[in-house]
Amino acid sequence: MPMETVLLAVVVAPALSFLLLSALWLIGVELSERVIARLTCSVFLGMTAACATLGWSLLTTGATTSWDGGVWFHAGKYEFLLGLIADRLSLPLMTLTAVLVGLVGSFSRRYMHREAGYLRFYLLLNLFAFGSMLTLAAESFDLLIGGWELVGISSALLVAFFNQRSGPVRGALHVFSAYRIGDLGLLLGVFVLHYLAGSAEDSHLFPGVWPMQGTTVGPFAGAMTGLLFLFAAAAKSAQVPFSSWLPRAMEGPTPSSAIFYGAISVHLGAYLLLRIQPVLAAAPVAAIAVGVIGVLTALFGTLLHRVAVDAKSSIAYAAMTQLGVIFLEIALGFPRLALLHIVGHAVVRTLQFLRAPSMLHDYHRVHAAAGGHLDRTGEHFERLLPEGLRRWAYRFALDRGFLDVLASDAVVAPVISFSRWLGRWEAPPKAACTPPAGEALGVLKETKA
Amino acid sequence: MNFDLLAQTSCGLYLGLALMTLASVPKRDREPRQLWSFACTIAGTLLAYCSGSLVWFTAGWALTVVPYWVWIETGPRWPLTAGTLALVAGTALHSVPGAAAQTFSFGALMLAVLLRKGIFPLHSWVPGGLEQSPPLLLGLLLNGHLGAFLILRFAIPLMPEAASLAIVFLSGLALFTAVYTALLALSDNRSLRILGLLAVSQASFMLAGIENRNVEGITGALVHWFVVAAATTGLLCAYRALEARYPAVANPAGYLGLASHAPRLAVFFSIFGLALIGLPGTLGFAAEDLLFHGSLESHPLLGIALPLATALNAITMYRLISRLFFGRSATATPTIPDALPRERWALAGAVVFLVVGGILPGTLISLRSVPAERIVALLGGQ
Repeated sequence: MPMETVLLAVVVAPALSFLLLSALWLIGVELSERVIARLTCSVFLGMTAACATLGWSLLTTGATTSWDGGVWFHAGKYEFLLGLIADRLSLPLMTLTAVLVGLVGSFSRRYMHREAGYLRFYLLLNLFAFGSMLTLAAESFDLLIGGWELVGISSALLVAFFNQRSGPVRGALHVFSAYRIGDLGLLLGVFVLHYLAGSAEDSHLFPGVWPMQGTTVGPFAGAMTGLLFLFAAAAKSAQVPFSSWLPRAMEGPTPSSAIFYGAISVHLGAYLLLRIQPVLAAAPVAAIAVGVIGVLTALFGTLLHRVAVDAKSSIAYAAMTQLGVIFLEIALGFPRLALLHIVGHAVVRTLQFLRAPSMLHDYHRVHAAAGGHLDRTGEHFERLLPEGLRRWAYRFALDRGFLDVLASDAVVAPVISFSRWLGRWEAPPKAACTPPAGEALGVLKETKA
Repeated sequence: MNFDLLAQTSCGLYLGLALMTLASVPKRDREPRQLWSFACTIAGTLLAYCSGSLVWFTAGWALTVVPYWVWIETGPRWPLTAGTLALVAGTALHSVPGAAAQTFSFGALMLAVLLRKGIFPLHSWVPGGLEQSPPLLLGLLLNGHLGAFLILRFAIPLMPEAASLAIVFLSGLALFTAVYTALLALSDNRSLRILGLLAVSQASFMLAGIENRNVEGITGALVHWFVVAAATTGLLCAYRALEARYPAVANPAGYLGLASHAPRLAVFFSIFGLALIGLPGTLGFAAEDLLFHGSLESHPLLGIALPLATALNAITMYRLISRLFFGRSATATPTIPDALPRERWALAGAVVFLVVGGILPGTLISLRSVPAERIVALLGGQ
């Protein structure tokens, strides 16, 4: 089979699985849990094998595999080209996605057993995998937007998986709002690329082999694109100031938290920046902004991690810290290191998330094997910082850096107040016709209290 | 009669939407008055699509307003009538020779468009009308998009120079309407008002897209017509099915959790809602991509406003989906039947149209790009 076809199959397989399961459900066919899980796991097993084949081809021939789907649609002078690419940047992450999503699918067979939304979980897992694969393999940024948005919607729907409770539902709205606002950066960045650089095709913008690519994007367009893409990447990777959605995303099932917020989804922001690495190299302003955001997030994440009281939030903040470091590596011009860091970090976090429900059991086992309690490690802040500063940092971390309050008071509340003010001109106010100020964007009022 | 490609595609879509609506009308709405109203609206819209002269178009337009005087007691009777009178005046003045008469004629036609499309500041009747009158009927009337058709079929070909100037103003207003109504919807909880505001906001991009004056932008606007019509009709059908079962959906005081008993209606509603805001994999994505790229050359402001309004609409739509379908346990949720077979097949047809159209958009886009090329030539664009 030609490598181009293998590449296409890797990307399309989860979409076909999603469509098949959806169509069967829609016409009333009830599949057993075993069939649903086996179908999904078989798809991801096949995808892993296909990725290994592509990897072997890349290693032996050194040639990038690309699939040219021609023109998807056109009107006037504009053509939307369908193209996929498996190069040194995208293929490792595609393989990682296939392996980890398959692993999570297999793990969830028992974890999600007899859950009311068993099929829904696997449907969204397939949709997410398709979105991720499309994002990673897209040859143009136009196509990347499609995958990026699918990841966002599947992520929000999985956060709201336990939708009988209002907490996950509000959390999902917060996540979705943060994603959609962040997506504006990506859309406008692509707009700038088309407008100022004349194309959004990877091969046109960044000729050469990753990570030694050049760029045809000028300094001004590069700085604009870099900053706008940083906005999108920061929202997707829970960087400061968008990080407040991350703890709320922990309301979803643990396997989905593992794959989204430990492994793949949060790293897509870093992937986007790695994709435009030549632009960052040519536009120091954008690179500095990436670095500053990375450092702030790393510090912020490590502080919040220390006061988190539940296992999943603690792991999520630790992941945020590492993502900040990855952003810094990208800003400093170490793309290979950043890629290696992403792969290693994703694997470790997936393991940690999947073991989170058994964390106490694991600790007891480790302590028993060690013959007693292990010495506490870390606590550098506790030893090095003066007490006054430690107290302030503790309060700062407990209040999640006051970001929720800032977002609520400085962004959400004014927008909603303005919206209500406009609404008064439209229709007479009625009791309970407007949501509480924070609810409109999923910002919970209790966080402000 | 003028049954060109624009009329053919518009008629085809509209007949499909009419069939879907009629199949999914709840039994309680199947009374003679409403059925006559549906017949009148469908006949009037089809007559307007097929008309080759402004007089016949005006007759079709007026026929769609008749139900609000004859059978429907409450509803947006006056705004619709004002729009019709403006159109009648424009048509009458068009036959009068002289530059002044032509100018007034064009002005009257534009006023008719503003009223019919619900463009700011004449937009309030749309969400209000959906609340006060049968929503499926008004949905069918709105989704004929006769205002946009009037511009494309008559205003631009008959008075291209005046249209070329007026469209700048009209598209500016449409753009403002898109963002303004998206902002309004952000703080509202009444389901039909939200749907009305979202429909107005998304439909405004059609008029804004015409200003691009290039084939991709106008094709995007015409494909967006497909999306807005199919998605909002689907949303209203799913909504009305829910409302007939559980009237509290009109103004949900909190989360209703209806997905636990009506999962298929929840899925249909969600797909229509997400298609309306351009979810990848639906036709909305291709339409917005074309609009987006069409604006690159001629109207960068649209390129900024479109994603902003779409993002706000997406948040509102997700919030509405959450309030209707999530947030309560199955035991705390009223037991309602899921989509009936007739509703299921009717709504599935629209979902297939939006999803298959989204995966393979080439055919639909090529059908719309032919009229778009003609319009660009008339406007003197590229």
